[in-house]
Amino acid sequence: MSAAVAEPIAHYRAAFDAVRAGHAATAAQRAAAFERFAALGFPGARDESWKYTSLRRLEARRFPVRDEAASPPTLPAALAGHRIAAIDGAHRADLSTGTLPDGLRLRKLAEAQADGESLGALLRVPQGGGTERFGALNAALCPDVLLLDVAAGAAAEPLEFVFASAAAEPGMSHPRLVIRAARGSTSRIVLRYVGDDAERLVNSVVDVEVGPDAAVHLYRLLDTGSRTFHIERLEATVAQRGAVVVHDAQLGAGLARLDLNARLVAPEAAAELTGLFLADGSRHLDTHVRVDHLAVGTRSLQDYRGIAAGRGRAVFNGKSVVHEGAQQSQARQTSRNLLLTPGAEIDTKPELEIYADDVQCSHGATTGQLDAAALFYLRSRGLTEIEARSALTRAFAGAVMSRIDNAAFAAAVRDALDARLAQLLESRP
Amino acid sequence: MLSIRDLHAQIGARKILKGINLEVGAGEVHAIMGPNGSGKSTLTSVLAGREGYEVTAGKVEYLGQDLLAMEPEDRARAGVFLAFQYPVEIPGVNNAYLLKAALNAVRRQRGLPELDAFEFLAMVREKMQLMQMDESFLNRGVNEGFSGGEKKRNEILQMAVLEPKLALLDETDSGLDIDALRVVANGVNSLRGADRAIVLVTHYQRLLDYIEPDVVHVLSDGRILKSGDKSLALELERRGYDWVRQEARVA
Repeated sequence: MSAAVAEPIAHYRAAFDAVRAGHAATAAQRAAAFERFAALGFPGARDESWKYTSLRRLEARRFPVRDEAASPPTLPAALAGHRIAAIDGAHRADLSTGTLPDGLRLRKLAEAQADGESLGALLRVPQGGGTERFGALNAALCPDVLLLDVAAGAAAEPLEFVFASAAAEPGMSHPRLVIRAARGSTSRIVLRYVGDDAERLVNSVVDVEVGPDAAVHLYRLLDTGSRTFHIERLEATVAQRGAVVVHDAQLGAGLARLDLNARLVAPEAAAELTGLFLADGSRHLDTHVRVDHLAVGTRSLQDYRGIAAGRGRAVFNGKSVVHEGAQQSQARQTSRNLLLTPGAEIDTKPELEIYADDVQCSHGATTGQLDAAALFYLRSRGLTEIEARSALTRAFAGAVMSRIDNAAFAAAVRDALDARLAQLLESRP
Repeated sequence: MLSIRDLHAQIGARKILKGINLEVGAGEVHAIMGPNGSGKSTLTSVLAGREGYEVTAGKVEYLGQDLLAMEPEDRARAGVFLAFQYPVEIPGVNNAYLLKAALNAVRRQRGLPELDAFEFLAMVREKMQLMQMDESFLNRGVNEGFSGGEKKRNEILQMAVLEPKLALLDETDSGLDIDALRVVANGVNSLRGADRAIVLVTHYQRLLDYIEPDVVHVLSDGRILKSGDKSLALELERRGYDWVRQEARVA
């Protein structure tokens, strides 16, 4: 291993050594996780799952682990009646609001451990994929784990988790959230990342266990500053007749990588993963979605729309794997992409791997520009070019937006998108 | 109102308009007829400002302004309206949104206050009745999933709402059955007025049974070969276009 590659690992090791004494109760788990990260290292140029995304800039950074006592940020208004704030990965009761909805129970790592919860689940290192290394790093460095349990049969009111960092200070944070939805429950959870323009790494892990006949709806909004490196592993395991539904909106960060995985492990489990990303300015957004069909009668939908402008760049890799024995499964994938300016780029790659013979699978990917005939039509009715481009771009995004069944979240996404579009269309030469 | 002098236009190297001269005054209805490929649609496209056409010579004056120097949206705001031959479907852009945005753009230009949602709806409802369109059209995407006839009605609805000074109708009659043709013609006739000019481009005389033109022009191979009153349209229907071309060659 060359010195250049070893160097960032040495820095992270020093960071780990600095915090490990504070985690005596989980020392063995964390040490093993750190060694997994050290062994995998940063992705190299030949790593297929990082083909279009270079982490060289991140590798060069030496972020300190954030001190959780540092100045709290100003948070935007909550999108649900109850908010749980995690600042640099640590739960902050003083920034949380509302009462926890009935049917939900929130514990921190120490409490969960004292209750006999398995550390293996709480500090799980994900297996495989491009972000395994960062999931392991998170398990080593996360200051806490938030464990949310949804009681059997509960139909819980919406809840927001807001993830932020100490104001104006560069650093790295490793938030970790575990959601367990018991049999027959329904829950709606907003996962919202906000931040300012300080340079930082946010390395997040969200583990979701969906029980039999349970439904977990996740509303994810990435709206951090343009100097944030954001890496996230969001992984759901879905039991019989359970469903995970993800509404994803990526409108922030400077460089972001999301691995969104759903494992449909029992018959008739379902995953609906839809989203929207906007790579404007010099933003680089890389989304890898993977669904594993591991049982009969499982169903999945992936529907992502991407927009790139300026020097923005986006990567979308959608993969469905129908494993042996997962007969009568359905896997549908759509990736549609819009380039608003000539310098922008979107690389999209739908992938299907099928090892069963009685399945219904489809996939499609398109990348194009705004329709010139439609633009002229709108302008011939008196709309300015900016208004016309904005209307058509919003219409493009609207196909995914219209799926969002949470009014507060939909409004927040729409407002953020409108503001961003107004800015980028008006600044266009 | 509209004065076209020696207009030449081409797409790439292909010359399509080869010296059009046309004067349209306020209150007049002109019909431009001609065989396929004669340049009818190119003329309306150039007047509305569609990209892809190169004007190589000539001038177009509209209410004293150099029309060709204006952006398409500025032409629209100044009162020029093109009813498209093939109205484009725009899923996700709401019909009501477009009507309202277009109307308020025109009203701002005219120094009028914008209409609020209530006034707008009352006004649009009235025009929709005239066009025999169901209100549900308002909440659909622009022309999305509309039949050919519905698209043409929607064009005339927009025109009725925007009340242009100069309306250009590009083959608005094509693809319409007789009932739809009557509705569309009715909509156009409702807009006839002393301060408004209408230029109809059509292939067939049929539309002119319902919208009586003041002047009929024959366009062929990029030039206006002959102009006359409405009896010229009937003669064209009976005798075709060849005799006009022959006459022009002899002259």
